[in-house]
Amino acid sequence: MKLGAPFHLSSETKAWVHREAQRLLEEVSGVVAVVVATVDGFDVGSAMKQGDPERVAAMASSIFAISAVVSQEASLGRSRSVTIDTDEGFALVHSVHRPEAGLVISVIAGQEAILGQVAYQVSQFARDLAAA
Amino acid sequence: MTEHKILFTGPMGAGKTTAIGAVSETPPVITDVVNTDTSHSKSHTTVGLDFGQLTLPGGDRIRLFGTPGQARFDFLWKILVKNALGLIILADNSRPDPIKDLRTYLDGFSDELKDLPCVVGVGRLAEHPSVGLEDYLDEIARYGLVLPVLEVDARRRDDVVLLIDTLLAQLEASLYGA
Repeated sequence: MKLGAPFHLSSETKAWVHREAQRLLEEVSGVVAVVVATVDGFDVGSAMKQGDPERVAAMASSIFAISAVVSQEASLGRSRSVTIDTDEGFALVHSVHRPEAGLVISVIAGQEAILGQVAYQVSQFARDLAAA
Repeated sequence: MTEHKILFTGPMGAGKTTAIGAVSETPPVITDVVNTDTSHSKSHTTVGLDFGQLTLPGGDRIRLFGTPGQARFDFLWKILVKNALGLIILADNSRPDPIKDLRTYLDGFSDELKDLPCVVGVGRLAEHPSVGLEDYLDEIARYGLVLPVLEVDARRRDDVVLLIDTLLAQLEASLYGA
């Protein structure tokens, strides 16, 4: 029986994830939470003004897994991101394809946030994290 | 002809995804991802939902849904149990404390279990007999519930069909007054 694959990020990368999450939270207008999680829903680094990173991590992995089966069913390739557009803001879940195990970045933002700006920043973050 | 929605739950590794795959007539929808939790010896785990479909000999259609096992996904339990006509709890006797696991789901679905038919299927019983079916029945009785408890192998289609049949029999008994 195959064991669960332990997820390893170097302490250096982890510290960078934290800094980057913190930077997005502080610099991008309207962002209230940034959570980086494993695909099976464990938080590996976050910065939040409110909320519980563990719950966001679990929900992000579910959203991402469901988006992956939808894109597979529709023969649309790999799922890249999901946006939940709401009355008072939006939540963005973006995948990070790393060779050993993927990650998902979640960003929760309020009304002041501009979707395009957040999406751009998050996709940059995802690209850097995939290479980190 | 009626459509039934049945929900499978139970601890990680009990065989929920396997059970749905064993009986589904359509390729099951599976949301497995790499498991990074080394306290569990499995390579992949469900984090969204499983979905499969089954037609019974009488023509009834069954839609089978499976939850993730881990309690951190309990928000999905609440979503997936909506409109379910029955719940199947798959237990895994090889785990350290299967009765404690059982409590997790009896507690997690306590509101629904007041009137939702439920069956418990116990897997890996032959290899791990220290906890018996009567221990499950005793624990269920402590919750003031009476639920059928069966030994099953989630990989065997017949066993999974038996679980579903038992659940539907319970459903009929409650519909027509037992």
